[in-house]
Amino acid sequence: MSSSQIEIQLIASIVAIACAIPGTFLVLRKMAMISDAISHSILPGIVIGFFITQDLNSPLLIILAAFTGIITVVLVEYIQKTGLVKEDTAIGLVFPTLFSIGVILIAKNANDVHLDVDAVLLGELAFAPFDRMIIGGVDIGPKSLIIIGTILIITITLLFLFFKELKISTFDAGLAASLGFSPTVIHYGLMTVSSVTTVGAFDAVGAILVVALMIAPAATAYLLTTDLKRMLVLAIVFGVTGAISGYWLAHILDASIAGSITTMLGIIFFLVYLFAPSKGVIAVVYREKQQRIEVSLLTFLLHLKNHQEEEERHVNHLNEHINWQKVRSKTVLELAQKNNMILIDNGVVSLTEKGEEFTSLAIDYIITNEDAKIEYMKDDFFLFRG
Amino acid sequence: MDPLEYIELVFTDYTLRTITLGTAILGAVCGMLGSFAVLRKQSLLGDAISHAALPGIAIAFLITGTKDSSVLLIGALVSGLIGTFWIRGITSKTHLKSDTALGLILSLFFGFGMLLLTFIQKQPNANQAGLDKYLFGQAATLVESDVWLMAIVTGICLIILLLFWKEFKILLFDADYTKTLGFNTKFIDILITTFIVLAIVLGLQTVGVILMSAMLLAPAAAARQWTNSLSFMVVLAAIFGAFAGVFGTAISASQSNLSTGPVIVIVAGVFVIFSFIFSPSRGLLFKQIRLIKNRRDLELHKTLAFMYHIAETHENISHPHAIKILNNFQGYTTKTLKELVQKNYVTIKGNMWSLTKEGFTVASNLYNQQNTKDE
Repeated sequence: MSSSQIEIQLIASIVAIACAIPGTFLVLRKMAMISDAISHSILPGIVIGFFITQDLNSPLLIILAAFTGIITVVLVEYIQKTGLVKEDTAIGLVFPTLFSIGVILIAKNANDVHLDVDAVLLGELAFAPFDRMIIGGVDIGPKSLIIIGTILIITITLLFLFFKELKISTFDAGLAASLGFSPTVIHYGLMTVSSVTTVGAFDAVGAILVVALMIAPAATAYLLTTDLKRMLVLAIVFGVTGAISGYWLAHILDASIAGSITTMLGIIFFLVYLFAPSKGVIAVVYREKQQRIEVSLLTFLLHLKNHQEEEERHVNHLNEHINWQKVRSKTVLELAQKNNMILIDNGVVSLTEKGEEFTSLAIDYIITNEDAKIEYMKDDFFLFRG
Repeated sequence: MDPLEYIELVFTDYTLRTITLGTAILGAVCGMLGSFAVLRKQSLLGDAISHAALPGIAIAFLITGTKDSSVLLIGALVSGLIGTFWIRGITSKTHLKSDTALGLILSLFFGFGMLLLTFIQKQPNANQAGLDKYLFGQAATLVESDVWLMAIVTGICLIILLLFWKEFKILLFDADYTKTLGFNTKFIDILITTFIVLAIVLGLQTVGVILMSAMLLAPAAAARQWTNSLSFMVVLAAIFGAFAGVFGTAISASQSNLSTGPVIVIVAGVFVIFSFIFSPSRGLLFKQIRLIKNRRDLELHKTLAFMYHIAETHENISHPHAIKILNNFQGYTTKTLKELVQKNYVTIKGNMWSLTKEGFTVASNLYNQQNTKDE
């Protein structure tokens, strides 16, 4: 690995961490799309900053861009408050308009300088190591590394200082207000951090990757845990994994690094989306199926308990009586037999002692309406576990 | 260039005519379908889908090797639809909320599309140039066949919209009720979503990925302010959209260095701002005026009621009182007094005022809250 390769991976990883932290809170606060809006609408801020300073490296650009990001949030909230349109429409109106203004400003005034929309929007991580920060003749590293590193340090400091406030205002804004810290201040604080992070990361990786790095790792982590601290850690781990594996994918395919990192984040999300132990699609579908069978089993056992007559309890009769399809009734019968709940004698089904006990307990729970306890009951009787 | 000259040019110049027609049709179809997106609270779907279409365009190019826009649009449509239904899947199967799902699909699909585009650019195939026009949109690349395609799609949209009007309408406002009526809500839902995706895909070439969501929302959001009727809103949105297209094209054509897409979006944005402010029933301006008027009426009533209480204690209701005693009262201003005089409720002689008969009746009714007529 050459030193520039190491630097690129380092920048990508630090950007990933810096994005994952605010991203986690955005996802939890149902504000994920705000990151998309900010990432586009900071364009006029950058352009105006460039007009003022005529220097793409001026810190004023970052300040103005971050400020535009906050204006976006304020505008969206103002429009939403007028009640003329819903929040999502407000977002969808504000950022394309601001972005258009940025594009037109560039086209009218900056056509001959190095500031084109593609570069701003897509970013090119591969060039990041060549833009060095030199102080007093000493090369102290790539500029984007310094910028995003500083932002990360500030973000982490703020996170530790205000963790409790962030946590409470995220999950219960009313409680936060009654405890004496303003959810509005926390809200705008978070928006400022998101905005600054977007701007800082923007230069190196482009608008779309910023959005991907903010949302995808946090969403992936949210599928695995509901614990805030664990979610933050997982989001960071996924972000960094995506960044480094994405770099190598780009290396192999000789393609855009930002695109590859996003693709890797996508693959990670897709795998977790399918296979997450309790919230993944497969687990959810399987659980729904199990629950359906459990309900059928319960109905079946109750039927047996209610009917002493032999003709009502004949295997063939059950199909038409409870009106199940053949396959399903077979699954239910097998499950009941496996759990020693029923005995089949000459085609006549009867409850065993264990079955009787289970059914009476079930009736108890149904009558008293304590459905939460049915879960324990199922554990006690080892349904699906033999 | 003066407007007349421009209009003449639109009719004679092939490129300008194509672009004007194209953007007008696009604006109309976006306005029409955007109304449904806005009312269904799917506003940001447009943003997500326009990004999600990118890998489809790239894959269609990789497979066929042509830049024929209808082939690429089919690719865009397929990946847009996959994106849409994956968003559905995420929100229905996991506890992730719709905004997270939208942002995820948007960024992940777009990133994958970028990967494919850069991969294509490295291929030894000279044909790939210009694929990135889908990112930012370039109305200038529209040719007559593109306009025909748009017109045909718009026509089909219109027919379907008219055929299923009742179903669309009822699904918008009460989905559960629609189900109990026996309509196949899933089918109607898929139909309308597919058309929204189709409109987005059509616009990509003209206004580009990022601006597409504004194209879809702005005419609808503007139209919403002027009416409460769905049919009127759809028609109005289509008109706004078409005008945004025409004006946007005109402005960008009359200046150098102005790309059409952003100008159209800004024109549409101006429509929205204008509607937000000036719409008679919902607009901010008239709302503010009504607020001020109500406040003034209230002050007038307060003053009148105060006078009434003073006059009540005297046998002769027109017994004159000094203006000075009103000064202790909060609602009183010289202006309200003048207004009361104008309405003939009060007469003034020198420094004294007295309630007229009419004023007394109005005030007593006011006090008894029987007078519900707005003053």
